[in-house]
Amino acid sequence: MSDEPTGADGTMSSARLAQFEDEVAKLKVTGGGANPERLGSQWGIGLTILGFVIAIISWWSALDAKDSAITALRAEIFAIIGIGISLVGIVIWVRNSLTRYLRYWIIRLVYEQREQTDQLIRALRDEK
Amino acid sequence: MTAVETNGAADGAATPPILQLAAVRAGYGRIDVLHGIDLELRAGEVFALLGPNGAGKSTTLAVASGQIVPSSGGMFLCGRDVTGAAPDALARAGVCLIPEGRGIFPNLTVSENLRMATYTGHSYHDILELAFAQFPRLGERRKQTAGTMSGGEQQMLAMARALATEPALLLIDELSMGLAPIIVDELYDHVRRIAASGLSILIVEQFAHEILGLADRAGIMLHGRLLHTGPPANIAGELTDAYLGADHTAS
Repeated sequence: MSDEPTGADGTMSSARLAQFEDEVAKLKVTGGGANPERLGSQWGIGLTILGFVIAIISWWSALDAKDSAITALRAEIFAIIGIGISLVGIVIWVRNSLTRYLRYWIIRLVYEQREQTDQLIRALRDEK
Repeated sequence: MTAVETNGAADGAATPPILQLAAVRAGYGRIDVLHGIDLELRAGEVFALLGPNGAGKSTTLAVASGQIVPSSGGMFLCGRDVTGAAPDALARAGVCLIPEGRGIFPNLTVSENLRMATYTGHSYHDILELAFAQFPRLGERRKQTAGTMSGGEQQMLAMARALATEPALLLIDELSMGLAPIIVDELYDHVRRIAASGLSILIVEQFAHEILGLADRAGIMLHGRLLHTGPPANIAGELTDAYLGADHTAS
């Protein structure tokens, strides 16, 4: 925070402006996805499918590698990695879907509470 | 049609504007509301954005506060491209929006609402002290539930909460909405004092007479475009034509 804060009269110091410039320079700019949760969900679904495909292909490779235990072991390792990628994808999808849902939920809650309070105040005023 | 003013103080040309929107197109989902907005706000300046309902004024503020990411064009703060920056990051840096409809928590008390401003790192005590110094009436009602206060007092609370965060750029959306003229005058006295302190303010209003007296420059928005910008005296003359034009277009 600023060492030279806005005074009680609200005077904005040049130091505050300089601090603002510093803060802006440090801002992390992602380049702008209009809907980051949707993008996250899409990545999650993509990773889940990718991991699943890797796991299936590796599993079939392992079954086909009848003559070489090492090849079968490698394929099984790849299958486990595929399952891991799928799990990561599921976690990313759940996380982003929940964030998206909770964002709408809290906005709805705020608006509903505001509307209820307004109704209550109107009712109280009408009673007077 | 867009219009960016390049007049003003000589130092205004040397230093980049505190806020610049360059050819911004933005909207909700696939529907664009802004169709190429060019707007500059210099440090210490008060810019009034006027226009009828549905002109895109609030959407412009939503873009400036990072809540809506432009579909094309760019947003710059102090010359740095911050297009796509998160709204919370912009708020922490010093961009503060007072939304239309006040945006307070009606079920919380005045003090609890002010506590919400501690996200910037200011101490709760400092925030209360600053808020009550600027708005003594809030001090008298510190334990009152915010939703039970009058509309003017709620707007004061929204302003106090915004100012307590020491913003460098203040965005105000329709301060006068739903308030009696005498309350609006009182609130604009506060805005006048804030503006005199050198804070950069972008303020949106539907009705001009309250705001043109304190703005350094003004602009008229219509159908998602910034049609005219200039000194308030010039804009006042063009405003009626713009509104009537809007009505004719609408009909």
